[in-house]
Amino acid sequence: MIQTLRKPDRIVQPCGFCGGCGHGVIQRLIAECLEELGISDRAINCVDIACCFWTLDGMDLDGIAGPHGRLPAVATGIKKTRPDDIVYIHAGDGASYTIGIAETVHICLRDVPVTMIVVNNGVFGMTGGQMSLGTTLLGQATTSTPRGRNESSNGSPGDFLQALSQFDFEFAARGALYSVKEINRTKQLIKKGFQNQMEKKGFSLIEVLSACPTNWHLSPVAANKRVEEVVAAQFPLRVYKDRGGMSDG
Amino acid sequence: MAETRFMKGNEAIAEAAIRAGCRFYAGYPITPQSELLEYMGAHMEAAGGTFVQGESEVASISMVWGAACAGNRAMTSSSGPGFDLKQEGIAYLASYEAPAVVVSMMRYGIGGGDITAGQDSYLQAAKGGGNGDYRLLVLCPNSVQECVDFTYQAFDLAEKYRNVVLILGDGAVGQMMQNVVLPDYVEPNINRYDWVIKGRAAGEKKNKATNLNWYMGDRPWEAHIREKLHRMQEQEQRWESYLVEDAELVYVAIGVSSRVAKQAVKMGRAKGLKLGLIRPITAWPFPRKAFEAVNPDVKGYMVVEMSIAGQMLEDVYGATQFSKPAYCCCTGIDIPVAEDVLARAEQALRGELEPEVAL
Repeated sequence: MIQTLRKPDRIVQPCGFCGGCGHGVIQRLIAECLEELGISDRAINCVDIACCFWTLDGMDLDGIAGPHGRLPAVATGIKKTRPDDIVYIHAGDGASYTIGIAETVHICLRDVPVTMIVVNNGVFGMTGGQMSLGTTLLGQATTSTPRGRNESSNGSPGDFLQALSQFDFEFAARGALYSVKEINRTKQLIKKGFQNQMEKKGFSLIEVLSACPTNWHLSPVAANKRVEEVVAAQFPLRVYKDRGGMSDG
Repeated sequence: MAETRFMKGNEAIAEAAIRAGCRFYAGYPITPQSELLEYMGAHMEAAGGTFVQGESEVASISMVWGAACAGNRAMTSSSGPGFDLKQEGIAYLASYEAPAVVVSMMRYGIGGGDITAGQDSYLQAAKGGGNGDYRLLVLCPNSVQECVDFTYQAFDLAEKYRNVVLILGDGAVGQMMQNVVLPDYVEPNINRYDWVIKGRAAGEKKNKATNLNWYMGDRPWEAHIREKLHRMQEQEQRWESYLVEDAELVYVAIGVSSRVAKQAVKMGRAKGLKLGLIRPITAWPFPRKAFEAVNPDVKGYMVVEMSIAGQMLEDVYGATQFSKPAYCCCTGIDIPVAEDVLARAEQALRGELEPEVAL
């Protein structure tokens, strides 16, 4: 069967992300999932104020931005007001696991039927590549850890997705974007997150390992190789919880 | 059908909000306003709304930001250090001109302060508090009935101006109990405004709840905000004046202090002292118009306030353009006592007090 690749209907302008960045791919996957599930007309885009902010205008949806880290709370207010709309969060790891960890924990505990996509690129991208306390790997050089992150000064990163998956909510999984296979798998995870919301199930959390070539000072190809070989070894790609019983295949 | 009930100020605010169509409340417990949150927890669900006990004040106001942008009549409440934490979300509400109602039942002190009544969040409430050049429409009840009436009006005012309305009470007003007449229920409609965010079909104009200047352009947006604030400043000044036309000294006070000051006026008048009272009902816009009716030969003004150095003082000097001396009767942690407030006025009238310097 011959398929013609085309832009999803709800992406309406160039995204503005750096070359090789995963955010744009994730934006496309979100738009494709909304379109394929027939829920674009019901969707509301909740973006954090960092790099994901670009999708506010890129997506032809009503949207809302920030405050930094508070999107799980913001989305809770929206979903409780409009329970039949499809409310999703597009946020980074700094927002979700550092400044906004309390909000992330509590949307899990409340099991609000929202789909949250966390883009984990291990740095604060928008502000110039500083350490992300939850996800920057030991030894990794950033603009705030120029000699590499060391444990004694900065502590160690943690697997927040795994930790959060101990709570009673619908779905938690981690995907990546370093190959076509992983992109397709990530799309299935995101789609599952939206389907859960359509079926009035609980909270879905999908973390996506993403490259930040600009702040990692690597080419897009080398940055993707790093995600595959280094980052994914620290943050395993799998389904961490699924009350509906999604297999890990 | 009007209904009368014996209620606490904090509870009355919550009940009035539900009757006004508020269907989303998020808050974090803090003394002396926790009864408001508890009342919402007990009654919001039956009204078909959502009650969330937030993980923090920051999260609570962020939920209100989301709910308000989605078209709900939304509210949060706090006090003192909790009100500090709301400022981020209040500024976000201001950035999109999203209407919401915030309640601050002031408590005493700096930082954590104390859990008892105070009035020293005045400047933070009246002058802003979060990032940027915005104002809140600040309504100051001094009775339980006003807690009802102002809260009920607050949602309409918030939507009229697309502006956050703050109910600025104090711990004493929140804790006092009186009979109140409750208004009828309003049923909200979350789709009544074209600026709300919701799911929309392709081809429909989309709303982006964020800084409006990015879509309006900086200069047109600045002009728009400036015009709105000036319009509110002109149209929304509210106050109660009491015996100011012949007064030699006029108290200026809000909340619990205004109740005591009024008593001091009555006691003074009984002794032949010509005292009066201006009670700002709006802390912003400050009711400068109220000062136009004051005896032109008034010898001075006296701010009665539970603060340390006099927060409303600069607004009084602003209203009088420094044409008259102003004094402070700052009682700090103590609720003012009418005899002391009267004695302070007598001192001022005898020339024994230096005018207070506005900091």
